[in-house]
Amino acid sequence: MNYFKKHMFDKYSLDSTFGKAPLQESEPKDDPAAGISEDELFEFAEFDEKKSEIIAAPRYSYWKSVWKTFVSSKFTVAVSIFMILVVTFSFIYPTFFSDYDPMNPQYINDSTHRYLSPSLEHLFGTDDIGNEVFDVVWAGARNSLIVSLSATAINMVIGITIGAIWGFSKKMDKWMIEVYNIISNVPFLLLAMILSYILGNGFGPLIFTMTITDWIFVAYFIRTQVMIIRDREYNLASKCLGTRTWTMITKNILPYLISVIMTYISRQVPALVSYEVFLSYMGLGLGQQYASLGRAISQYTSYMRGYPHLFWIPVSILAIISISLYIVGQKLADAADPRTHR
Amino acid sequence: MSTNNERDVILSIRHVDVSFDVGGKKKFKAVSDANFDIYRGETFALVGESGSGKTTLGRAAIRINPCSAGEILFNGERISGKISRQQDRNVIKNIQMIFQDPAASLNERATIEYCVSEGLYNFHLYENEEERIAKVDKALEDVGLLPEHKSRYPHEFSGGQRQRVGIARAMIMEPQFIIADEPISALDVSIRAQVLNLMNKLKKEKNLTYLFIAHDLSVVRFIADRIAVIHLGKIVEIAEAEDLFMHPVHPYTVSLLSAVPMPDPIIEKQRESIVYTKEEDDPNASPREMREIRPGHFVYANDEDMVAFEKRMQKLESFHAN
Repeated sequence: MNYFKKHMFDKYSLDSTFGKAPLQESEPKDDPAAGISEDELFEFAEFDEKKSEIIAAPRYSYWKSVWKTFVSSKFTVAVSIFMILVVTFSFIYPTFFSDYDPMNPQYINDSTHRYLSPSLEHLFGTDDIGNEVFDVVWAGARNSLIVSLSATAINMVIGITIGAIWGFSKKMDKWMIEVYNIISNVPFLLLAMILSYILGNGFGPLIFTMTITDWIFVAYFIRTQVMIIRDREYNLASKCLGTRTWTMITKNILPYLISVIMTYISRQVPALVSYEVFLSYMGLGLGQQYASLGRAISQYTSYMRGYPHLFWIPVSILAIISISLYIVGQKLADAADPRTHR
Repeated sequence: MSTNNERDVILSIRHVDVSFDVGGKKKFKAVSDANFDIYRGETFALVGESGSGKTTLGRAAIRINPCSAGEILFNGERISGKISRQQDRNVIKNIQMIFQDPAASLNERATIEYCVSEGLYNFHLYENEEERIAKVDKALEDVGLLPEHKSRYPHEFSGGQRQRVGIARAMIMEPQFIIADEPISALDVSIRAQVLNLMNKLKKEKNLTYLFIAHDLSVVRFIADRIAVIHLGKIVEIAEAEDLFMHPVHPYTVSLLSAVPMPDPIIEKQRESIVYTKEEDDPNASPREMREIRPGHFVYANDEDMVAFEKRMQKLESFHAN
């Protein structure tokens, strides 16, 4: 050992602290590293069990990670900004800047103001009774969005609440599945027609029509999802700790479902926009006193050949709103899935 | 069936059957006629192969699986079947469970703080927020984790750390009795001893009783005071741990012990696995039941079996005496 040390020092003139401690004790005279100050020597490192438990990774926060994943794609950010602009515009423009009133066609007697093609003065042109298509379309888009967003919100709240309990309770499942079978077999259009005759055409009745049966499909979807994760071991563990069913739903189940619920919403909002358009097209939607994208499309269909802009512009706006809502919703749902987090 | 009546029985399983519906009126009996006592302060191990009903029996004791016959007494009170809400809460507080898979048994979307405080919230076992946090810190410290882990999520931990979170979550309730359902089976071999030592340390400190469910006999020999061997839903032998390893009399126990791998390669090469085949039941034979062959050593047998078992016992005793 000693020989080896000396040899090593001669040959490579290593750092003098090498192998210092044991040598000093046995033969201090032969120590080639004598005269080295204490703080230059190696010290015994103490083993600390606590230190091995420390997690060095940066802190994880669910919503922060969702946001990071969401903004990491330039395409997503671009579509989101576009969607926000379109939605904001369709709320602000008809409310504050347009004097369009479906019950008061101001240019109805001005034949020079009819069927104008899109130009700088009339952005989207004018229609058969002299209305600005630009005003008609955005007022309709606003109303479609109001109906769709409120119906989605109502559907989701009722559907998630009932679906979560439905998934948990075996007793409730027995009769709820029958209720589901009955409701899902009622022809929706028939129901919509009857309801529109009874309740009239307005925002309230239309939202009511869209929610009266639709919530059960949300509930059924949530029920299936809950049943999938209901019997996982961590829920059993919660049960062993005495956690009540409702706490289990809000703390153990729903956080796992954020992503699938987002996906559902992202399909539901554009679907209901289209549904409002469809119902208005059928004459079952909003009444004459409200602007509606659906009724505009239905009225302009007859001018598809003579004045194609009258038909294609509202349809394109509908498509733009639906698609951008859908894309943003899907991207948000992806970001909400922790498997995509890094 | 307790011989030493002076010992305090904490959990008494009395002729318990657990069955499951398998479509229509068919029933599958997972556990039949389980009958034993667990004394306060001991570690009672339940050993058997996969599907033998050991987990089912453990879950029956914590009221997850209902008993279809018999009853379970905890501190002398019946806890099986319908019991009052107050009693149910009492059982939950005093009997806790440690789960097999630490990755599956923690809520991935909740922080460690919530996971550990869950029981405290449910029973409101704290005066104010500071006390709750102090309790969580103490529970984490007891299992060798740090207070700074509170804001972390389960997926950030290693398997051993997660299992210790699971233990902390059970311990914070200050239970008297803990059911450990294969607590180390899903863990890396290098950290199994750490978790077992921790469980032993906590047992001493908090005067706990364990029902330790396992299939690994070497682990059981290390941790258990008494062992019950379960086979196809029937308990075949119950004895003190060393007694069972020295004097196994039931052919299934013999077969199970012969299957334990040896760490010494030379002995391992010579090891012979004895395969257990269940004999056809003789319809004229007297019914089998748990019988005491030696004080504290029970075996599932009828009169005919007892003769053979007694012979084997004497042979083993004379072998070990020399």
